[in-house]
Amino acid sequence: MANPLKLYLTCIRNTLEAAMCLQNFPCQEVERHNKPEVELKTSPELLLNPVLICRNEAEKCLIETSINSLRISLKVKQADELENILAKKFLRFLSMRAEAFQVLRRKPVQGYDISFLITNYHCEEMQKQKLIDFIVQFMEDIDKEISELKMSVSTRGRLVASEFLKQFL
Amino acid sequence: MMAGAEKFVEADNAEAIITRIEHKSRKIESLLKQNKPVEALKTALEGSPPMTRDERCKSANWIAVHRALMAIKDVEGMFSSLDPEYYDILMKYLYRGLSTGDRPTCDQCLRIHEKLTERAGLGCILRSLADTVNTV
Repeated sequence: MANPLKLYLTCIRNTLEAAMCLQNFPCQEVERHNKPEVELKTSPELLLNPVLICRNEAEKCLIETSINSLRISLKVKQADELENILAKKFLRFLSMRAEAFQVLRRKPVQGYDISFLITNYHCEEMQKQKLIDFIVQFMEDIDKEISELKMSVSTRGRLVASEFLKQFL
Repeated sequence: MMAGAEKFVEADNAEAIITRIEHKSRKIESLLKQNKPVEALKTALEGSPPMTRDERCKSANWIAVHRALMAIKDVEGMFSSLDPEYYDILMKYLYRGLSTGDRPTCDQCLRIHEKLTERAGLGCILRSLADTVNTV
């Protein structure tokens, strides 16, 4: 099962390495403004083809690039209701603290669980390879975190239930 | 708005292109029966109609390419006999396959994508991202 995951991450890593070629580009419509073009999508000549990489029906990754910014949206695997709730809460927790992450977007794109917005300024301050490593590592860690959370919830539930039912023995 | 030339391609050639693609699919089926998946893939990639905006032509061609792609078992062997001129168009079709979300298609496409990137490099990926005119 790990092998398809590794292929999926390799594909995303290669696509990001190719797509993360960002340069400064001041806004064409308004003077002295500098906006991430991938968010506005006003000029088609500044946008590249968006790429959707699906691992299966549940997990996918949308990578949209433009001349000065790159947006990555992820949908994580949610096998059952519990994982659904845990993923939603956990990713909302992270998105609220987007300032600390710098490259995280406060709201995920419609249809996805979490989004990253990388601009040319991020590429100037930070190393491109490290940014890509961060994103791929993030994807691996999310799965682990959610399984850990799920296990701790079930363990706690079991303990609480057994303690509670002891009084009826 | 589309230029006049595009409309010409649409109306007259769409039917011609679809007939050509059907002809190609029959050839691909026969090649697959003879156990030659690489030849089938080459045939499928060859006549790719790049300059049409017609969705039906693109879908018809994608179905043919998909059939050939899923029949490939030996990825390394395929690359040793595939010419480099097909790498770019193959990459575009791989991304189309990855966007479908269908598990076996995605598994196959991910496998081929990794090997193709090793062979063709990041330039191949960037060309498929940047080419907004000839999409598949």
